[in-house]
Amino acid sequence: MRSKASLSVDSKASLSLGLVIMALSGWAVVSAFEWPWKAALFPLAIGIPMFLLAGAEVLWVILGSAHRGEAKDFQLSQHLPARVALRRTASVMAWTLGFFAAIVLLGFQIAVPLLVFLYLKAAGRESWKLSIVFTAVVWAIFYGLFDYLLHLPFPDGWIQTAIGIG
Amino acid sequence: MIDPLIQGLLLVLQWKALAFMLLGIGLGFWVGLLPGLGGATTLALMLPFIYTMQPAEAFAFLLGMHSVCATTGDITSVLFGVPGEATTAAVILDGHAMAKKGEAGRALGAALASSLVGALVGALALVLAIPIVRPLVLSFGSPELFMLAIVGLAFIASLSSQGARGMLRGFAAGALGLLLATVGQDPQAGVARFTLDTLYLWQGLDLVPVLVGMFAIPEIVDLAVRGTSIAGELPPGRLNKGAWEGVKDTFRHFGLTIRCSLIGTFIGIMPGLGGSVAQWMAYGHATQSAKNAEEQKGFGQGDVRGVLGPCAATNSKEGGALIPTIAFGVPGSTAMAILLGGFFLMGLVPGPDMLTTYLPITFSMAWTIVLANVITVVVSFLFLNRLAAITSVRGTLLIPVILVLVFIGSYTANSNYGDLVVTLVFGGIGYLMVLGGWPRAPFVLGLVLGKIVENYLYISMARYGSSWLTRPVVLVLFVVAVVVILYPLVQARRTAARRGAHA
Amino acid sequence: MRITFAIVAVLALGVCAPQYGQAQTSPYAGKTITIVVGYKPGGGYDATARLLARHLPDHIPGKPTIIVQNMPGANSLIAANNVYAVAKPDGLTMGTFNRNLPIAQLTNVAGVKFDMRKFAWIGSAASEATILAIRDDLPYKTFDEMKKAGKEIVIGATGPGANTYDFPLLIKDLLGVKLKIVSGYSSSSDIMLAIERKEADGRAGSYTSIVNFIDRKLVRPVIRARASEPGIEKLPVDEDLAPNPRAKAIMALRSAPEVIGRPYVMPPGTPDAMVKIMRDAFAKAIKDPKLVAEAKKTKMDLNFVSGDEALKVVNEVMSQPKDIVDEFSKYIKFGE
Repeated sequence: MRSKASLSVDSKASLSLGLVIMALSGWAVVSAFEWPWKAALFPLAIGIPMFLLAGAEVLWVILGSAHRGEAKDFQLSQHLPARVALRRTASVMAWTLGFFAAIVLLGFQIAVPLLVFLYLKAAGRESWKLSIVFTAVVWAIFYGLFDYLLHLPFPDGWIQTAIGIG
Repeated sequence: MIDPLIQGLLLVLQWKALAFMLLGIGLGFWVGLLPGLGGATTLALMLPFIYTMQPAEAFAFLLGMHSVCATTGDITSVLFGVPGEATTAAVILDGHAMAKKGEAGRALGAALASSLVGALVGALALVLAIPIVRPLVLSFGSPELFMLAIVGLAFIASLSSQGARGMLRGFAAGALGLLLATVGQDPQAGVARFTLDTLYLWQGLDLVPVLVGMFAIPEIVDLAVRGTSIAGELPPGRLNKGAWEGVKDTFRHFGLTIRCSLIGTFIGIMPGLGGSVAQWMAYGHATQSAKNAEEQKGFGQGDVRGVLGPCAATNSKEGGALIPTIAFGVPGSTAMAILLGGFFLMGLVPGPDMLTTYLPITFSMAWTIVLANVITVVVSFLFLNRLAAITSVRGTLLIPVILVLVFIGSYTANSNYGDLVVTLVFGGIGYLMVLGGWPRAPFVLGLVLGKIVENYLYISMARYGSSWLTRPVVLVLFVVAVVVILYPLVQARRTAARRGAHA
Repeated sequence: MRITFAIVAVLALGVCAPQYGQAQTSPYAGKTITIVVGYKPGGGYDATARLLARHLPDHIPGKPTIIVQNMPGANSLIAANNVYAVAKPDGLTMGTFNRNLPIAQLTNVAGVKFDMRKFAWIGSAASEATILAIRDDLPYKTFDEMKKAGKEIVIGATGPGANTYDFPLLIKDLLGVKLKIVSGYSSSSDIMLAIERKEADGRAGSYTSIVNFIDRKLVRPVIRARASEPGIEKLPVDEDLAPNPRAKAIMALRSAPEVIGRPYVMPPGTPDAMVKIMRDAFAKAIKDPKLVAEAKKTKMDLNFVSGDEALKVVNEVMSQPKDIVDEFSKYIKFGE
């Protein structure tokens, strides 16, 4: 039995994925019991094997050998030291979530140039001139195409609605 | 046969028709390139503009625009790892991987060349299939379509890594996709399944936000972690090696390209299967062409065959999808449904007439597909190496742009913030899968095939009881499915035996 | 310097004045109106909206621009909720959604956050005639023959809530015809293909979507619902064949929204003056020969219903007695 501490990053990821899927399929199966059989059949037929498959993977991780388990998919770059990789991963994830928050709070029209500019300055440490010009170009294309030409609905952010402008 | 063929060509070669086709190509180029501008949506928006055109001109415009979308969508997928269209997600796996190895030019060349081959095969099928199309489509009822979807699911085995552990993960991922396909109101009892009491999930998960999140976000994270350009630390000189090499690859693996084109055409002909299936089945088939375990592992890391397969299939599918649209008035894809609107605008009634009285118009459509694709590919080649140069731009400039593309791409599908949440959630899941060594392709396959499998099973049972199980085509397809599942296992055993013999 | 300033000021006033004057006569001058469509581009609701967007401005004083925004999701419940509560009632937003939303509200579908009666009704651009059609080579030529023969007829459907499913369901359960409803087809065109394959024997749906196949002699219509269109007036109506008043009421309830086939509303609280302008423009636009010609090309059958009439229908639907609603809910679920 391998201790949790000795699990590599990929095993931890696989373990969490397995557990998430077990939880999901468990919930799905339980929900399906309340439905008429026609609606429930397929979810049950999928959910139960899914639970077992995910369970097997979880067991395999906990009990098994250090199988790297390469998938026919791209692998994240390995060549950087773990701490650097972790820091950069967390950073870009934070930027992504921040962008999402900006879109919701401020609306697309403001969030887009804001994100581009802030990222270039703060994370990219680009010069002022480049940041401003690049942001302006991106914003012009975004606005010209999606707003002006296609009239896609970009609602006001929550903040604008709360203050009452827009 | 020859006479209408030539008539059809002449229809397209008139000045006005040609001009409109070029206009359509110009438009479609950008629509395909930008995530968030869907080919089908734009087709719908363009429909009113063709009121004043003659039939051949109108179709030249619409088809010209549409034929191009899939091709340029491949470009976005290869360069940025963001699916330009829902139908070009499979290319990301190997295409973008090649870009990261500095082979962007080669990947793009392969993508374009195989797209052209696929489009030509699709157009050829449109022409040749005319005599047999009615009996062919009519013999594929709901039981056969169900079994065909099962064959599609069987490809999960090929898309998983070899070995029991790999299969386990692959099928678990596939099962997850299948389960998520059931989200929404079910068509048997009208129960709102797994909707978490939200209106957003009522009609199920939309494919585009899921794909964008699952494929683009892990790539963005990786790009940020590496801290370099997409192509990494490679010297820029290598990029130019590219495009021509990619074209040669298409012909080096010509058999595979043709086979995947045929798969795409076939899927296109069968209405009701949906447009996203073809690329994944072709990808699965492409992985089967790996000769041994080492080559197998190469898929997902930048094997050019992983580009050839999906590109050929996606483009040939369009020619195939025209067939049921023209012959039956039943659209083979969403874009075709909109094109049907164009038919009615022109006063044409799709049906047997299109294969007899209006044959020249039908052929003019095939010619349009051919010409539009040829023009697109030629024009793209002129810019290819410059496009490939994007991969040497530093990551810090690209990341914000890709992020914007990701969010806009998933938002504009439905103008609903829920899509953004979905993108983030599946971005997280996709990242975990990549980290943990779970393959994403089986998941997508399950997601796109889930509804079809369930619905056609119920229809078959309701209509035929259990006698559908013994229909000839069903049995044949069942055997095909078994072969597809066993193929990688047999291959693995052979490799092990060979290794044992060498030891 | 002062003189220059004065000249500039006068010129500026001169430029602004006409617009100021115009703004006093029309609240729509220079504005942009948005039509929110509860479906994706390419469908019937969207096509009608875009047609109107092109022709309405000619009939609105001030000639505003009209754009269409698609807000698909939950069978247009999301769009309806949005136009009801989120859109500003300043006369610059219109919405068009699923005609069956009054039924959704009546049957207390979860997620309904609107009251159909409180919208500012502009009108309906078309009515939807629903028919049941069976394959032409079947031996039954009329509804009576079909019912008397007593053989099971397979009807393909997409799912509960769509008229492909609901209409035959009522015919089966309330009129006692031996129909087997096979549900799950991805779209109504797939059902047509199934009919050609002889996998299904017939389908229900809007007359407009089936008419081409009738012309092609693939199917023949045998029965229709209340709303009628040229070509099917002579068909028996399902309500007329109802065996008892309750059955008739249920069928009538299902058909009621068909009259307001393409409903157009504005948010509740929109100023009356603007609603009136829009109503008048709507009425004129639908009779505009240019619009009619365009609609004919796409085989769109337009049929003007005024805002007041539409509201009347909605009120009728909402005021159905509880026992009818309960009985109705057993058969019909809100869906597509």
